Amino acid sequence: MGTENPGRPSFPATPFAAAPPTMTPFSNSGSVVGSEASNLRPMRPTVPPNTSPPMTAGPAGSGESPAFRPAPPTRFNDPSLPTPPSSYGPPAAGTFNRFPTPPFGSMPPGPPARAPVVGQPPFQPPPSQVSPPLSFRPQGQIPGVPMGSPPPGVNTPQIDSSFPASRPNFQPSFPPTVSGYPAAGASSQLPLPGYVKQSNAPFQAPQGPPVQSPFQSPPVGYAPSAPTPSPHFLSQQGGLAQAPPVASPYGLHSSTMPPMGAMQGLIEDFSSLSIGSVPGSIDPGVDSKSLPRPLEGDVEPNSLPEGYSLNCNPRYLRLTTNAIPNSQSLVSRWHLPLGAVVCPLAQAPEGEEVSVLNFVSSGIIRCRRCRTYVNPFVTFTDSGRKWRCNICALLNDVPGDYFAHLDATGRRVDLDQRPELTKGSVEFVAPTEYMVRPPMPPLYFFLIDVSISSVRSGMIEVVAKTIKSCLDDLPGFPRTQIGFITYDSTVHFYNMKSSLTQPQMMVVSDLDDIFIPLPDDLLVNLSESRTVVEAFLDSLPTMFQDNLNMESAFGPALKAAFMVMSQLGGKLLIFQNTMPSLGVGRLKLRGDDPRAYGTDKEYSLRVPEDPFYKQMAADFTKFQIGVNVYAFSDKYSDLASIGTLAKYTGGQLYYYPSFQAANHSEKLSHELTRDLTRETAWEAVMRIRCGKGIRFTSYHGNFMLRSTDLVALPAVDCDKAYAMQLSLEETLLTNQTVYFQVALLYTASCGERRIRVHTAAAPVVSDLGEMYRQADTGAIVSMLSRLAIEKTMSSKLEDVRSNVHLRIVKALREYRNLYAVQHRLGGRLIYPESLKFLPLYGLALCKSTPLRGGYSDVPLDERCAAGFTMMALPVKNLLKLLYPSLVQLDDYLLKPSASADEFRKVMKRLPLTADSLDSRGLYVYDDGLQIVLWFGRMLSPDIAMNLLGPDAAAELSRVTLVERETEMSRRLMGLLKKLRESDPSYHQLCNLVRQGEQPREGFMVLTKLVEDQTGGTNGYVDWLIQLHRQVQQNA
Amino acid sequence: CWSWNPDGNGEIENYRAVIRTNSSYQSLSRASQSAELWTKILDLANEQRTALLVIIVFQLMCLADLEFDYINPYDSSSRINKAIMPEYITEGALCLFYLVTGHWCMSLICAPYLYYNARLYTRQKHLIDVTEIFNQLHAEKKQRLYKLFYLIILLFLSIFWMILTALEDHDMD
Repeated sequence: MGTENPGRPSFPATPFAAAPPTMTPFSNSGSVVGSEASNLRPMRPTVPPNTSPPMTAGPAGSGESPAFRPAPPTRFNDPSLPTPPSSYGPPAAGTFNRFPTPPFGSMPPGPPARAPVVGQPPFQPPPSQVSPPLSFRPQGQIPGVPMGSPPPGVNTPQIDSSFPASRPNFQPSFPPTVSGYPAAGASSQLPLPGYVKQSNAPFQAPQGPPVQSPFQSPPVGYAPSAPTPSPHFLSQQGGLAQAPPVASPYGLHSSTMPPMGAMQGLIEDFSSLSIGSVPGSIDPGVDSKSLPRPLEGDVEPNSLPEGYSLNCNPRYLRLTTNAIPNSQSLVSRWHLPLGAVVCPLAQAPEGEEVSVLNFVSSGIIRCRRCRTYVNPFVTFTDSGRKWRCNICALLNDVPGDYFAHLDATGRRVDLDQRPELTKGSVEFVAPTEYMVRPPMPPLYFFLIDVSISSVRSGMIEVVAKTIKSCLDDLPGFPRTQIGFITYDSTVHFYNMKSSLTQPQMMVVSDLDDIFIPLPDDLLVNLSESRTVVEAFLDSLPTMFQDNLNMESAFGPALKAAFMVMSQLGGKLLIFQNTMPSLGVGRLKLRGDDPRAYGTDKEYSLRVPEDPFYKQMAADFTKFQIGVNVYAFSDKYSDLASIGTLAKYTGGQLYYYPSFQAANHSEKLSHELTRDLTRETAWEAVMRIRCGKGIRFTSYHGNFMLRSTDLVALPAVDCDKAYAMQLSLEETLLTNQTVYFQVALLYTASCGERRIRVHTAAAPVVSDLGEMYRQADTGAIVSMLSRLAIEKTMSSKLEDVRSNVHLRIVKALREYRNLYAVQHRLGGRLIYPESLKFLPLYGLALCKSTPLRGGYSDVPLDERCAAGFTMMALPVKNLLKLLYPSLVQLDDYLLKPSASADEFRKVMKRLPLTADSLDSRGLYVYDDGLQIVLWFGRMLSPDIAMNLLGPDAAAELSRVTLVERETEMSRRLMGLLKKLRESDPSYHQLCNLVRQGEQPREGFMVLTKLVEDQTGGTNGYVDWLIQLHRQVQQNA
Repeated sequence: CWSWNPDGNGEIENYRAVIRTNSSYQSLSRASQSAELWTKILDLANEQRTALLVIIVFQLMCLADLEFDYINPYDSSSRINKAIMPEYITEGALCLFYLVTGHWCMSLICAPYLYYNARLYTRQKHLIDVTEIFNQLHAEKKQRLYKLFYLIILLFLSIFWMILTALEDHDMD
């Protein structure tokens, strides 16, 4: 309940504004600039805002301290690309000393010269350096240092020591003296299509006039001559100009220093694609193979490894950009959403679990004013007696129990024993002040539709069996409570008192004024009434076997469940099969009314019709009840209305269209089992705090807000993520770092009240380019999709799609404006390396189930259900859903032996286009929710026989895949099992499709190939061309 | 919602009374009676306007309280929702009242407000949605602030009107 922090989240403007906030890492109190700063503590070394930049070359200058910051358009080194490519040269000792002074001093503070990346004919040899026109250096400022040292090899050595480690794979491919041909080397180096992560480095522009060799081979010209045209390679071309190692300075800073590089405004790092046809030809001029594709899946940002190593893992908190803009004007130029995606309970891999700390005796250490929990970023001063809050900069007293001396460097001596001061994610056991009532027991209540259609589909049987099998695994063993209500045209209650042997059924048929026939014993302790519960579950399927009732008194049953549960809260699982037709909350078949489709009012079909459901959802949340809806109907059943119950109570909607026990029972029972047995946090509230000057203003996901910034989550688990958007409250942020702290106060199943705290820091920047460089595509896409789905509730799908499109265009245009003036980028589409997948994900989003096509393309219920699902999915799962994996299997199956090690090799994802499908192959398509096995028409009959046995010739829609006695079949099943294990939140049902088998192939595979042009939608190439054209307009 | 607001009930009563008064006075000579009548009528209109102002300010207060976390969304939205129908009815009555009493101009000025309310009502969007209240907070506040300014302008206009009428009558006397 809302006790966590009644105070206001945003701190009132205070005298602290001026204080240089918290920049002193408590560990190295005095030694501010020293290069040892990076060794121990996470924080970037202190550079008080107004001091002049340290002249040391070490990691000290690490950052965006304002003093370093050149005028906005100047470039930073990308911290995530800490290794300029300039380092591949033969070690020539001694040169190190030739440039001992980094150009900090000698560089004029004004915009440094920048070397442009220019389109050059393909494969023009290094001599292209011959004439770098002067216009290439528009700023005309060549640093006074001997930057461009004549022989490329000379300068490089000093960095080598730091390099090989970080980029070993590149090293061999670069002949020592060649700096200009990374292309050839790299392409052969990158066997995997889209193996892009490695190739960050090439995106540095050349530096210094004599050594410039900007190679931008337009892909068209390039592709044919590439030895192994790896599909992805060309996308990188933009900056392929490999900078001959010029500047000694970077060497010094290179890999040890995260965001350094104010002095080299010379390095460019953007990617570009050559788009734009040769005049007179129809060919769009884009090699579709070269386009960037996220075939590696979601890549978590490996941001700022140095200064921010104490941040919580990105699986818990991801910012859309890891560089927070320092002014309103910068925010307005960042056209993508600015915010965070939080998954507070994300499943941690073995060995990385969040440690639980018990502070019950001494009280949890929190800031007096802003209620921030103690975290690794707080600083201890006054020989350990005070600590400074990193969020609001208030100086707090350290309680006696928590006191520890500081050592010479200002670190607490007991730091090793204090996980809360060394880890970004910790969990505190909350004392009684954090409870308004005793922690509730885990409570599961089932509301089961027993009308004729659910009997016929076999749903009841599967549900009863699954629940029964889960009884042992329900969390919170001795305290767990359980209860059941079934309904058709009447509502049936079950007395499960432990003294009974058989449950007693009570039927209430007064739907207008529903009441509970028995004050207690409808909700019983599972361990006490175990036999009765089991007896009930055994008899449930037979009890209603002959039920012919077609009505559904869903609303009254819901109210009854609410009355039973409102004392305790808990989780309500609804199994709903028939459209609610009786009593309050009855729904109309409005989705069947074709008149609303295609009009301006179409959106109203996607919002709940009856306010009853919203009101019920609000009441459920108020009483700590989380609702999960399992919907099975084969006909329209207005999930837009019923789904709201799950949406506002932090629950989930599972939809099994046309459920048939024979086909879907595996999926249902897996998902129900997971729902019942996964670790759940009960009666939770979540708040995210952030530093002064910024504020979270809007929240997106499945939950209800209890106050402006308090997210109420009656039952939350690891499969749910929430997004929130930031806004700046002040016109200019003065601090250099912003901290975020997510606190989730919940009751664990064991009955302990706990607080899970994730803390992260992000630098504040004044440079738009830096924001783009630090952008996190996954978080942005997650945010964009949530915003888009919310928008479908109030506007036409077409408008929503064009809105997504427009946002991407605006973002790219802004980015282009940063560079296009200096560089002649006429026909090129440029984008930051960090956002190279954004256009594709944008396209995939527009083709995703909630946004796709018109009314006829996706059944309304399916659209709504997908919308509810996508609003809750964590980033990784969402990206997989948007750009599913497609893998060719036949080679793997035919290979004589395959070890587990080979699994990774097999899983070579292919671009999602029909061209990837070879009619002689067998492919598996996996989007996290379902798996489709695609059998090519000319697939060798041998494989089909081995896998399907005698069914091979039959129509595949009726065939289910079972393990057969052949090696091949075993291997396939093993592979599918691995796929499922990699993503356990849903069970991916396996569908078989044969090429040409329409219409199944159409809706299962072909429409999901997002890069193809299907039914009036853009293909990937067209989409890019369209983007490019619009980016160029008013550019 | 009727039980809550005595103003609303009162409005109807008053309004009937006015119609009666109005029709009975029609035959009388205008010059002698008009000043007194106008004052009465405008008093009544003022009452209605004041009631509206109070309702709107009350709703705004609820929203502000919610924003600053003094009350929870459940209470806030139920309080506001209780006040919404009375507000709409009072507004409708005011508009009708102007119309019936022959103040075409004032009635016209009131019309857009009435139309806006009616439109919200027919689309079933007039009530605050407790689940989305925080997302709509800004818009709802803005809407009510506009209404408030609208009403204040209306108030000034009618005071001006009243003074003008009073002066005219005075001159005639």
